[in-house]
Amino acid sequence: MLSWKQFLISLTGSKVENLSNVHMIQKILIANRGEIAVRIINACREMSIPSVAVFSTVDRNSLHVQKADEAYCIGNPPPLESYLNIGKIIQVTKKSGADAIHPGYGFLAENPEFCERCEKEGIIFIGPNSKALRLVGDKVESRKTMTEAKIPIIPGMMSSGKQTKGFKEAAEKIGYPVMIKASAGGGGKGMRVAWSPEELEKGVEAGMREAKSAFGDESVYLERCIEEPRHVEFQVLADNFGHVIHLCERECSIQRRHQKIVEETPSCALDEKLRAKMGEVAKKVIEVSGYNNAGTVEFLLDKNKDFYFLEVNARLQVEHPITELVTGVDLVRQQIRIASGEKLTFTQNDIQQRGHAIECRIYAEDPENNFFPSSGKILFMKEPSGPGIRHDCGIYSGCEVSVYYDPILSKVITWAETREDARKRMLLALSNYTVLGIKTSIGFLAAVMEHPEFIAGNTQTSFIDKNMSDWKGKRKERRFVNEAIIAAAISSSTRPTSRKRLQGKQEMPSPWLTLGKWDLGGI
Amino acid sequence: MELELKIEDQIHKLQVEFKEGHYHINLDGNEHLVDSSIISDHCLSLLVNGKTFTVYLAEANGKKYLSVAGEQFLIEETTSENVAGSGADSSGIAEEPVAASPMPGKVVKILVSKGDKVEKGQGLVIVEAMKMENEIKSPVKGTVEKVNFKPGDLVDAAQPIVEIEPEA
Repeated sequence: MLSWKQFLISLTGSKVENLSNVHMIQKILIANRGEIAVRIINACREMSIPSVAVFSTVDRNSLHVQKADEAYCIGNPPPLESYLNIGKIIQVTKKSGADAIHPGYGFLAENPEFCERCEKEGIIFIGPNSKALRLVGDKVESRKTMTEAKIPIIPGMMSSGKQTKGFKEAAEKIGYPVMIKASAGGGGKGMRVAWSPEELEKGVEAGMREAKSAFGDESVYLERCIEEPRHVEFQVLADNFGHVIHLCERECSIQRRHQKIVEETPSCALDEKLRAKMGEVAKKVIEVSGYNNAGTVEFLLDKNKDFYFLEVNARLQVEHPITELVTGVDLVRQQIRIASGEKLTFTQNDIQQRGHAIECRIYAEDPENNFFPSSGKILFMKEPSGPGIRHDCGIYSGCEVSVYYDPILSKVITWAETREDARKRMLLALSNYTVLGIKTSIGFLAAVMEHPEFIAGNTQTSFIDKNMSDWKGKRKERRFVNEAIIAAAISSSTRPTSRKRLQGKQEMPSPWLTLGKWDLGGI
Repeated sequence: MELELKIEDQIHKLQVEFKEGHYHINLDGNEHLVDSSIISDHCLSLLVNGKTFTVYLAEANGKKYLSVAGEQFLIEETTSENVAGSGADSSGIAEEPVAASPMPGKVVKILVSKGDKVEKGQGLVIVEAMKMENEIKSPVKGTVEKVNFKPGDLVDAAQPIVEIEPEA
């Protein structure tokens, strides 16, 4: 086994024998927006690879456009006319001379037609091959493959439907509660739990609508709803030569609307033995799918530590940074190197988890109003920084958060020696994170970090419903109400501040005083 | 100087006096000695009874957005006259018999039609915003009086989508 230092050297220096089939990518078009586009652009810059951004008309001022080397407008704000417009994206790729496309997550990342089109056009798709992508993307097809390979899966429908008929019988057979899932799904979209036949009908209908709008395919299927589960996933890397390694787990049980908001690694629920066992199954899933590049194998882990394969996320995950922090592997760089035809320069034995990492996703949404998305102008923001704090960010002071896209703004990731230290560091980071003008989940996430059940590591997927549903009430007990009121009063008052006073300046108009005219109550 | 500030439906009364380089603030009957210093356009350093706080502030549409140690606040200033007015307003909003989206979005499905009897809390319309479907519920018990949009229409925040005649 390599020492940590040797391991780092092996990550950064390619061995000569690896270079024979390598055609290092020359220029990368990033078919995405927001924080993930910025993340990929930064990796390109570090690797001295020019980057090309694409944007919809509403994103002209977005951060990814400012960060890339080149940027081209690809259409109107609705995703189908821009970030999902395959023809236009291919056209811009060719025009810009890019030889590779990184799809990020969401949008076209797991679209086999897009991947096939890239292959046909001779453009490197930084992700899996289209055949594997098609297989793992079809949840029903992949269930069959996994059953044959003796990978444990959750009992459920072996086919999906576009009509509500047939679902009732299937649900009876599987047993309530059942989970309704989009066949082409991901990110919790189109996903619902039904506890009764009545809920099933309504849920299937709504699930189909959401699936249609999010993925262009309304097919949904059912599976048994595992109660009190944890969501544990394994990061894998597979090169084009059949070498597959896993980079340990991420636990992503804290979810709202079936979408992850807090992730951590290692998982409190895994010991060395279970980790090794699940990791081997994850590698097998990748092998039987003929999958290459970076991917994530998702499992549900139940109370009895039995685990079930859920799906392969055939993309770079939102939560990839926590794996990067505990393993020291830069996943975006690895993706680019694998896509360039390099062999993996390290083996399973080189992968060690060091310390603990937590990620909090910052969404533009209102946790007090059922996490309803919030849009508008960010009047001011200040980002957290410090030892062990990473901030992957797609916003800036003055930017507009539009209604057209997923409301993720940024991610705060902290690393420390232990879980408790990483948790406290996250609290520090969140308390130093200011976003004014729109609603965000920052305060809610801080409350999650401070919850006794989170501290104890009791993180099941029901965490938010079980522990946080009364948060709105608790919000009234916020600690700094008095200070906020005092600051507001001072900003409204026409008195000079102490600093101005000490400097001996008279009634200088300051931004605090000229921000607005207030109708003051009788002086 | 006397002030009334509204923070999330709660009104606080303040007396603010500036003397000898400090603010003397009486907030809801409690005295605070405050030293205030401007750090930058959006940042204020406070020493409240000796304790240090960094406050970030921005303003838009007559509202103040503040952040203290990661907690966020939306504060509005009221005068004595419109305290009563705003009180009536806010209770008016709660009772207003319409279904409206809290943000711009697209109408996906109308769940009721004109003349339907609806219960308080019953789903009236599904609106999609930022790729999420949201069910807008009826704020009152009553009868559907008017449906102003059809599926596929774009709606603005607070635009009435379904209007209800409340049951007396």
